[in-house]
Amino acid sequence: MSAVHVAGVSKIFNQGTPKQVDALVDVNLTVEAGDFVSLIGPSGCGKSTLLRLIANLLEPTTGSVTVNGKSSAQARLDQDYGMAFQQAGLFDWRTVAKNIELPLELKGWDKEKRRARALEMLELVKLPEFAELYPWQLSGGMQQRIAIARALAAHPQLLLMDEPFGALDEMTREYMQGELLRICRETKTTVVFVTHSIPEAVYLSNRVVVMSPRPGRITKLIDVDLGRDRSEDTRNADAFFHGITAVREALRGTHADHANEVRGVEDR
Amino acid sequence: MTLRRAAYRTFMFVMALALVAALWEGYKLVGPKDGGSLFGVSILPRSNDTAMPHVWDMLSRYARAERRGSDTQIWQVVLSGAWYSLRLSLVGFVLGGSIGVGLAILMARFKRAEQGLLPYLVISQTVPLIALAPLVVAWGGKLEIGAFVWPRWLSASVLGAFLAFFPISVGSLRGLTSAPGAAVELMSSYAATWRQTLWKLRFPAAVPFMVPAFKLGASGAVIGVVVAEISTGLKGGIGRLIIEYAREATADPAKVFTAVFGAAALGLTMAGLVALVDLVVMRNRPKEVAA
Repeated sequence: MSAVHVAGVSKIFNQGTPKQVDALVDVNLTVEAGDFVSLIGPSGCGKSTLLRLIANLLEPTTGSVTVNGKSSAQARLDQDYGMAFQQAGLFDWRTVAKNIELPLELKGWDKEKRRARALEMLELVKLPEFAELYPWQLSGGMQQRIAIARALAAHPQLLLMDEPFGALDEMTREYMQGELLRICRETKTTVVFVTHSIPEAVYLSNRVVVMSPRPGRITKLIDVDLGRDRSEDTRNADAFFHGITAVREALRGTHADHANEVRGVEDR
Repeated sequence: MTLRRAAYRTFMFVMALALVAALWEGYKLVGPKDGGSLFGVSILPRSNDTAMPHVWDMLSRYARAERRGSDTQIWQVVLSGAWYSLRLSLVGFVLGGSIGVGLAILMARFKRAEQGLLPYLVISQTVPLIALAPLVVAWGGKLEIGAFVWPRWLSASVLGAFLAFFPISVGSLRGLTSAPGAAVELMSSYAATWRQTLWKLRFPAAVPFMVPAFKLGASGAVIGVVVAEISTGLKGGIGRLIIEYAREATADPAKVFTAVFGAAALGLTMAGLVALVDLVVMRNRPKEVAA
């Protein structure tokens, strides 16, 4: 059973109005359990839309989305996935531990069980001493680690991330990438990861999904052969550079198409 | 740190009062005694002691007897009047606050409720309170639900609530819809119900918007109660003192100001109560960056 199965999905916003946008057209994607899949592409290619369709925060116009063999709506109700956004989105009025407890609270867990799990998650993201602090007392990278702890608190098998490191500086970003790989290895979590960064996509993923805009669609699937155990040395490996080149060329294709389109319009 | 800020604020408040007093006395010094008029239209207020008593006369008036032959000093009368009105204002504030927040929840939940209700809320605030007060008293007098008999003071509280609910509902609505889209998405990714989202996200996120709204509502409740006291002649409150003392303005000009200041202090007390709640609720929030 695959973790995510997207079959023939299209998403059209404002259908039938002058503002109609074909955000996604005929997208097919399968993510196997244990995969780390990145969605990459220029703005407007529908990568965030695709993530939200998997999360059932949006309904597809056509086609179907299955998560863990269930409909995405059922998967959301069962909290089969955790989610993290570019902004950590922690609640200012809750302590760090209370923030991590939020999804468990909504599930109706009792207090002690919640607290124990929150502390366990804090150990996982290596911030055990921060339980009683407030999010605004932490740095951006720490906040993002708390957000990941929160997303994984209910032990979902699937983690959906929308440019989670986009707001961090480069050094913190690389550290966070390493941490994310470690956490996913330890928890055996499947990840679908939206990013703008080519090295980030290649370093993290075993599969990179290259997308292109107008209409949003998948143009290429690139397998990254860097093995399971990646470290900082991986960033110097030949395979890493090959991966980057492959993704860059695939992306360049989408840009070239786009440039032709624009020229075509200008010529008229 | 907060203590220093509080001290600074108190200092500024006292300075502002002193400034107003200085302006008042300054105008008395240079302004025309019988007012100034241009082409028969009076544009400058009279600065004589009947129209504008000296600041020290007004203050010292508090320590003298309310009327000749009486042994209660006027501060006692003003204080007990303010206490009476404060209680009515509190009832009005709680009433108006509940209605205001209730309406805000309704409007935040249903777009259609917002579209349908908001114009009427705005219209409601254009009805002159003076005209409404006798009506409410009349309606209240006819109301009898079982053993419940409408007390006269309740009409004043209802009018206080009438002024209080509007800023509270509008401010709460803004607050309840202020939660960032990502936070709302997060809650729906947890399959949270609307009610859970309301309690765990929308209300906490609304607090910074609701506090100023409640402050406005608190002073609104005071104004409503005082005006209602004046226009319905309800005894015991500060509003009644204002009209009583205003009648003696020629003989004892400083007297009416004692009651007016009492009403102002009342409004400040109510706003202060809200500020106190604010301090408690917001104690763990990020501190505003000092401007």
